[in-house]
Amino acid sequence: MKSLKPLSIKFGRSYEVKSSDGEESIENPLMSDEQKSHETPKRFDMASLPEETRREALIRRIDIPVQLSRILILVFIIWIWETRIIFKGFSVFGFDVLPEIIPLFQGVPTEAWDYVTDVWNEKLFWHDFWVTLQEALLGFLYGALSGFLVGMTLGRFKRARKVFSPFLIFTNAVPKIALAPILILWYGVDIGSKVALATIIVFFIVQIPVMAAVSGVDPDLDTVASSMGATQLQKFRLVVLPGILGPLFGALRLASIYAILSVVFGEFLASKRGLGQRLLYQVNNFGMGAAIALMSILALVALFFNAGIGFLERKFLRWQDDTTRGNVVSL
Amino acid sequence: MTNSAVSLDGVSLVFGGKDTEHVLAVDSINIEIPQGQFVAIVGPSGCGKTTILNMLSGLIRPTAGSVKRHGKEVTEPSRDIGYMLARSALSPWRTARKNVELGLQLHGVGKTERRKRAEELLELLHLEGFANAFPSQLSQGMRQRVAIARTLAIDPDLWLMDEPFGALDAQTRLVVQAEFISLWEKSKGSTVLFVTHDLEEAVLLADRVLVMTARPGRIKSDNLIDLPRPRIIDELRFDEKFKAAEHKIWEELRSEII
Repeated sequence: MKSLKPLSIKFGRSYEVKSSDGEESIENPLMSDEQKSHETPKRFDMASLPEETRREALIRRIDIPVQLSRILILVFIIWIWETRIIFKGFSVFGFDVLPEIIPLFQGVPTEAWDYVTDVWNEKLFWHDFWVTLQEALLGFLYGALSGFLVGMTLGRFKRARKVFSPFLIFTNAVPKIALAPILILWYGVDIGSKVALATIIVFFIVQIPVMAAVSGVDPDLDTVASSMGATQLQKFRLVVLPGILGPLFGALRLASIYAILSVVFGEFLASKRGLGQRLLYQVNNFGMGAAIALMSILALVALFFNAGIGFLERKFLRWQDDTTRGNVVSL
Repeated sequence: MTNSAVSLDGVSLVFGGKDTEHVLAVDSINIEIPQGQFVAIVGPSGCGKTTILNMLSGLIRPTAGSVKRHGKEVTEPSRDIGYMLARSALSPWRTARKNVELGLQLHGVGKTERRKRAEELLELLHLEGFANAFPSQLSQGMRQRVAIARTLAIDPDLWLMDEPFGALDAQTRLVVQAEFISLWEKSKGSTVLFVTHDLEEAVLLADRVLVMTARPGRIKSDNLIDLPRPRIIDELRFDEKFKAAEHKIWEELRSEII
């Protein structure tokens, strides 16, 4: 036997290791780990990584290609709209995807902008704005609160759920905007009927996911808390409530959009004041530019509403992944 | 023996009723455990191991027989029991430290005191750098260590462990087992009831191994493990005495499984 095979090191015992060229080397078992590390090849130096400057970090976050694409698309939309290309009609395989629009029914962004500058200093416009905002906020508040409480109770108490679920399922199945004319008879043409409609619609948007989320809270967390002698109230506060925040905020964001949708619809049917009422008036009088402006304003209100809830969500759900947390638009 | 830390006397438990069939989960179990003993329970899955822990923790009551701690009937969850589940069951919205604090918070311990205690425990389990991390940011082994810290934070007199390391990979399990056993050996004589389906783990850690039969669960054999403490478990695994003990119990267990 000319040379020994190298052996793996086991439990501090030493083995003779003979390299192929016949030179003998002996692993010293008394050598400390520190001494050994001097002989190991040079390690990768983490400090050698280039540090990201603030400017670089900002550029990475802004993601310029994405922003540029967004701007280009926006410019393109405004261009085909303003030049009225979009109104010339567009068909695919003979189907009129966009029919040709007669000039009376056309409205372009500059006309919309003119309307905004006109009404900006008009007191009555801001009164209308406030009426609609108030209806949406109140409807959202009442609906979200009652939906939360009912969803919570029915989620926690199985028997109560059994009793009430057929009624809730039926009521939810009613096409709720069909209730609007009745609500106007019952609550009058002022804000009451719009608040009522928004409340009903928001209620179901919040109640159903909250109820599902409560029964979906990890039973292990409940067991752990129970085994430590937690009271019902403690379990509610420390296990159930934080456990349903995710679905709750998701529902609230959806509800905020629907609150505005329902009050605008209510105003369409019958109302004295409000942005929806103003919008219907403009469309009926072929004020297309004004209609576009009002719709954009309503969309902005909804976005602000949504962003406010998103802000709260990020505050309360710091523990969740960035990807699942609510952003209206990622910046 | 009324002064046993744990005593189960003729305990049976029937599950179900109403719309499901009755199932006899455990059948006439008698166990006496003196204070400070580390007892492992092994048995085929579904044999009622967890049910025994649930009865001891006061979460469920036996259908027949009595479950006592220090001579007193167990009727509801008690503050001096630490119960650890197979899955770490950490609250995802709480940081590691806040998770460890849960039991103390439930018991009304003040903020600064529970913070101090949690930090001590995290350090003992080599997690001091992760106190403010959320569970989603921790590895599985780390999460399980946080769960150990949470279980021990309330300084329990009786530790109920339900397959606590079952979900860990082999190497991580060895590390966490070693940390766990040294924590227990340093504790002031706490009693441990450790449920596992891993016989090696049971023999490595425990003073005494109970083998259960397939459902309905009965105690099949009661084995004292005569291995010295403190135990260096990563070496003990290759010890002849250990292997002999494991082999002897395996013979008992195998007929229940195969």
